[in-house]
Amino acid sequence: MAIRNIRIDGDDILRKKCRPVEEMTPKIQELIDDMLETMYEADGVGLAAPQVGILKRLVVIDIGEGPLVLINPEIIEKSGEQTGMEGCLSLPGKAAEITRPNHVVCKALNEDMEEITVEGEELLARAICHELDHLEGILYKDLAKNGLLDVEAPDEEE
Amino acid sequence: MTQVNPRELVVEILLKIEKEAVFANEVIGNVLKMYQFIPKQTRAFINKVAEGTIEHQIQLDYIINQFSKTKINKCKPFIRVLLRMSVYQILFLDRVPDRSVCDEAVKIARKKGFHNLTGFVNGVLRNISRNKDNISYPKEEDGKVKAWSVRYSMPEWIVEKFLADYSEEAARQILEASMEERDTCIRVNTSKLSKEECIKKLEKEDVTVKQGFYAKDALRIEDYDYLSGLTSFQEGDFNVQDESSQLLCEIADIKKDYVVMDVCSAPGGKTLHAANELKGTGLVIARDLTEKKTELILENVERMGYQNVKVEVFDALHFDESMREKADLLIADLPCSGLGILGRKKDIKYSITKEQLLELQKMQKEMLKVVSGYVKKGGYLIFSTCTINPEENIGNYRYIIENLPFRIVDITGKLPDSLKCETAKEGYIQLLQGIHHCDGFFISKFQKI
Repeated sequence: MAIRNIRIDGDDILRKKCRPVEEMTPKIQELIDDMLETMYEADGVGLAAPQVGILKRLVVIDIGEGPLVLINPEIIEKSGEQTGMEGCLSLPGKAAEITRPNHVVCKALNEDMEEITVEGEELLARAICHELDHLEGILYKDLAKNGLLDVEAPDEEE
Repeated sequence: MTQVNPRELVVEILLKIEKEAVFANEVIGNVLKMYQFIPKQTRAFINKVAEGTIEHQIQLDYIINQFSKTKINKCKPFIRVLLRMSVYQILFLDRVPDRSVCDEAVKIARKKGFHNLTGFVNGVLRNISRNKDNISYPKEEDGKVKAWSVRYSMPEWIVEKFLADYSEEAARQILEASMEERDTCIRVNTSKLSKEECIKKLEKEDVTVKQGFYAKDALRIEDYDYLSGLTSFQEGDFNVQDESSQLLCEIADIKKDYVVMDVCSAPGGKTLHAANELKGTGLVIARDLTEKKTELILENVERMGYQNVKVEVFDALHFDESMREKADLLIADLPCSGLGILGRKKDIKYSITKEQLLELQKMQKEMLKVVSGYVKKGGYLIFSTCTINPEENIGNYRYIIENLPFRIVDITGKLPDSLKCETAKEGYIQLLQGIHHCDGFFISKFQKI
């Protein structure tokens, strides 16, 4: 396993549309493991493959309830609304208020390429929406009505 | 995606305070400022849990030690603050279910890579949650010092000191008040608007306003998010100043055209008050040790719109020949142990030491020796501190009358009836938190012979 380099906003790759994963290969398995490690190391709750420079429809999520791997995911149902802050590992030091559905149902394949259905509320729903947007080349700042806020770490002096 | 987890922020705050010698107020303030965008309730939660955990630390550690095989001081710093913060929520926050406190703590531990300690964290917290109604505390009959130290989370030596300096009942009230939450006390900028107008403006911004207890321009406010977000604050309608400190300027009895020197001025409460009392005449020379501090004063002076203030960086321990016998009034509100403001600055009690009390007293004496030279013949000296330590207060009061060319001034006439006391005739008053409705504060007044 290895920590991969997270692509930062401005990198063209973040704006490209991703291609489906056709089959599970050792290379894809390695990518999944690396993405999880990279996400944990960076304190994220989700990471999409294009964020590590791979244009594949693959995301990992962990909102504190264990890792979730979603391959070729699709939202098949959404309802309700939530407005809250989110940030992104590709836009370090920034955050913005984003309105998302409060509840989503997502169809995807797991690591064994078996079809699964994941239902998410609140934070999980938000994370699923955020990561799936990455696969279309969409960043959350595109949806920020009130602009981006700086949340840079405070000065270490004193 | 990344997400702001309020409890994680609290852990970060506590860890920073634990590892570095930084003031809790500053760390919490910085974090809240940075996360202004998160909802008011979440920010209030972060503030409450961070401050509460610090405030109750001795008690929390005592409880954790009762239920954990690994003693709290043997835990890794991260786990230590995580446990403290979680136990605080279990014991003091009724709105949060214990189960979610435990789950959150486990999540944070896992997220930060302490996979092998999640079982330990979970075990200790669930154990405490189950037994929270039968926690045993040290009994008073086995020793008041230990019992009170745990009950009021006050280091034993400070409990001993309060018991030695004050009556048992007074010591208990002081300790209790050192844990109480108090409203913010403000002084209305009466050069700009009347008290009534200020109340109206504040109430329009949904702030709850109450009258002060002692000082004529004082109000107490609560239910606001952060001060600098209030229009009335931005427009300089008021500044934050405890009533004790406002009393100081009332006792000083500032007359038109006075030259006032405030030698340890930051953040400038008394300077601003003095400028206000001068009604545009005279001059206030506000000094402090560092640029960072004088900037704070300057910011306040500009916001409040006073024109008769000169702000300078100057060390109160060095004599400034150009100011020899120039001041009609000298305010020496000196650096002190802060034992009168333990309720506001929750971490002072853990950082202050017995040795520091002595060093402070010595330094205050040195400063008094230097700055008393700025007072004109017939001019006045106000010596004050925000501590209730007699050595720093009465000790230096005696030093002044015995060694410096000053005589005491009866201050009875300048005190509100509820504060009139025997010592006022001798030129001083010791305010005590818990006994008076303000910070613990010492004020004394002298006239130069």
